Amino acid sequence: MTALILSLKLAFCVSAILLAGGMPLAYWLAYSNWRGKFLLEAVVALPLVLPPTVLGFYVLVAMGPHGPLGTLWQTLFGHGLAFTFEGLVLASVLYSLPFAVQPLIASFESVDRKLLDASAVLGAGRLRTFWRVILPLSIPGVVTALVLSFAHTMGEFGVVLMVGGNLAGITRTVSIDIYDHVQSLEYAEANRMALVLLAISFAVLTMVYAINRQVGRQMGRRLWTPWAAK
Amino acid sequence: MLRLAVMTLALLFAGTASAQEIRVAAAADLQFAMQDVAAQFEKRTGTKVNVTYGSSGNFFSQIQNGAPFDLFFSADVDYPRKLEAAGLAEPGTLYKYAVGRIVIWTPADSKVDVTRDGWKSLLDPSVQKISIANPEHAPYGRAAVAAMQKAGIYEQVKAKLVYGENISQAAQFVQSGNAQAGIVAMSLAVSPGMKEGKRWEIPADLHPPIEQGAIVLTSAKNKEPARAFLEFVKGEAGRVTLARYGFTFPVPRALAP
Amino acid sequence: MDTVGGEVDSAMLTARLKLERRRASSSPFVLDVSIEIPPGFSILFGPSGAGKSTVLDCIAGLVRPDGGSITAGSEVLFDSESRVNCPPQARRVAYVFQTLALFPHMSVEENVAYGLNGLPQAERSARVEELLSAFRVEKLRARRPLEISGGERQRIALARSLVTQPRVLLLDEPLTGLDAELKAAIVDDLRAWNAAHGIPILYVTHTRDEVDALGERVIAMDHGRVVSQGTPLEVLEAPRRKRLAQAAGFENMLSGTIVDLREADGVMRVRLSESSCEIEVPLGHAKTGDRVHIAIRAGDILLATVKPEGLSARNVIEGRIVSMEARGTLIRLRVDCGVEFIVHLTPGATQSLELSAGKRVWLVLKTHSCHLVEE
Repeated sequence: MTALILSLKLAFCVSAILLAGGMPLAYWLAYSNWRGKFLLEAVVALPLVLPPTVLGFYVLVAMGPHGPLGTLWQTLFGHGLAFTFEGLVLASVLYSLPFAVQPLIASFESVDRKLLDASAVLGAGRLRTFWRVILPLSIPGVVTALVLSFAHTMGEFGVVLMVGGNLAGITRTVSIDIYDHVQSLEYAEANRMALVLLAISFAVLTMVYAINRQVGRQMGRRLWTPWAAK
Repeated sequence: MLRLAVMTLALLFAGTASAQEIRVAAAADLQFAMQDVAAQFEKRTGTKVNVTYGSSGNFFSQIQNGAPFDLFFSADVDYPRKLEAAGLAEPGTLYKYAVGRIVIWTPADSKVDVTRDGWKSLLDPSVQKISIANPEHAPYGRAAVAAMQKAGIYEQVKAKLVYGENISQAAQFVQSGNAQAGIVAMSLAVSPGMKEGKRWEIPADLHPPIEQGAIVLTSAKNKEPARAFLEFVKGEAGRVTLARYGFTFPVPRALAP
Repeated sequence: MDTVGGEVDSAMLTARLKLERRRASSSPFVLDVSIEIPPGFSILFGPSGAGKSTVLDCIAGLVRPDGGSITAGSEVLFDSESRVNCPPQARRVAYVFQTLALFPHMSVEENVAYGLNGLPQAERSARVEELLSAFRVEKLRARRPLEISGGERQRIALARSLVTQPRVLLLDEPLTGLDAELKAAIVDDLRAWNAAHGIPILYVTHTRDEVDALGERVIAMDHGRVVSQGTPLEVLEAPRRKRLAQAAGFENMLSGTIVDLREADGVMRVRLSESSCEIEVPLGHAKTGDRVHIAIRAGDILLATVKPEGLSARNVIEGRIVSMEARGTLIRLRVDCGVEFIVHLTPGATQSLELSAGKRVWLVLKTHSCHLVEE
């Protein structure tokens, strides 16, 4: 079904962007000593406490013809950002930001600082230290970030509802589709889709925990989970 | 001293016992009209009216599953009819309280002039997105599609349509500028936030009438005040207020369900 | 500046460091040292918190001093006045941490090869081989650090840091927890390596035994300053600082007030705190009424069961044995003479004198066994 494929496509795009963009951000937050760091940490954590509809609303306003994102997009592409797949990606990236960045930060921070010192003294610059020391020792965190972003985006509803416009094949994700079926009293169809979504999510999560065990055995460290805060 | 304290407490409790409250589920298009009516009712009787706005379809599902409302003002008479058939409504309370109207609405600074061009403005290239309520479950959305089809314009603008979860969201899409035009409820188009825009009334004969029905629910905790409110809406004050928001009323023969 | 080179300047390391760090709990920590380390082993000795690790961190470039300069041979690594601050990557200073910091996700071979990034494969393998055999860990090349024992890990940490042919080697208590034999073996290998390369090696420790084992030059530090420099004997046998004395194994730390100065005799008479006990200590720069601290080794005190006469020693103090405790190869006695003394005797001595708790004894202290120390 197109809605499911759309949701998967959205989840993949968002996870990829969050991983690529999240790593530099997490690196900076993990290792910087700037006094104002706590402000940025709070901003990154905002989507955790903000209701998705509130976030969606503000994104919608920002995407509007008078908002910063909207005007930028209009000049670049000649049409609006709302009700497009790209608009969904943007809103979802903001919504899932802490789910990607926080596990990365936790992983980076848990790398023994002495290892970083040793790397520097042995002649490795920051990039090489990241690539050869920090990243390999942070694989559990990277996997967690990837999986959490993916799962979170698959299940997203409030934000998509606010900015999507419910266009079949473009912004009608599986969660919106299920909601529509419920609204139209088509409960059987809604059930069917919900079960498929549940099955996929469960499969993804079991994969995460399986990897967790495997990697944990190898290196004596576990994946970060939201409820096992430092 | 103690006696004074006890008396004060007793008075307080007595006070709260007498102030009654009713809970109303109201369709999204009643956002402003219902506020007005409810405020008048409260002033007259002292009964507090607690209104929740949303999509009629949503309320229908929730009420079926035991949502604690006293009254349901739907944008569609079908839902209350179904509830009555299912035994969830107080018999004899089903009432078609208004007929909704739809309009094409644009912001005041729009490049097109709907008041002059009507349907044709939707074809203008500057109108890239047109918002309507989701026709699959929102009465206003169904009416919008029916009207567009009857006007012969649906096929040409189909690709530009975006769907709001309910008529309020459809209005919000166009009001925020993300959609350049929208087909929204008249009652919303005349409300404070939107009356400065440009609107064109879609001829009522282009779509099946949007008959809006209300019922008192069997699960109502405060049936007497609920009935009283419904009577108020049916009465002179209620109708005058609704008319101000662009609602019309079904012909007398449709009063009996 | 390349990080891996050929010829090494086997010349002096100098470090003049000034650093101040605010601490929440107490007064700020101030580091103010000026040291010169020639090729060979130099020990940086002092109690915990003296600032030894901070000195190493500054030399390696991991911490930036507020002022001063650091040079290795003719190369200036840091100079606050001319705003030179070489990053650690470019200093060619090798540093072995206390925790060793071996990369847990890499094999031994990969660990050792880590610093040789810029070199062609052939030369890299050759150098890695050389160091693995110098420290006798060739058999472990494919293992992970978690799979090898202590002792071997230290060797690998040394191999890793020396493979880059650094111009200075810094070691922060790298041999803690190893038994004496293992330590000696590793130190021997390190000496052998340095015989061929001749670089300054700065070795930080707070244990006495290691100083004796490595003993070339000792720099004693306390509270962020250099307290004394010289041979181990000079620095540790006559410690001038109380904390240094404690670290160096003076079991008796007494305080008292000077009651009399006898310049002609070369002694001062000191009344030990809150008692009538008085002893004679070497003359120092002080006046009557000053408070002083005296450090005496437990092993320097003689014990007699009858009051001795005709001794050269000036201090004969009567007391009572409070307790006796076996401590390894000797017996530790606590004797109350108004002030409590700790005395070490051999088990044979305690037996032949038939010592027991409560017995009345006399303690004999030579004037020069009483060392004056500053606070």
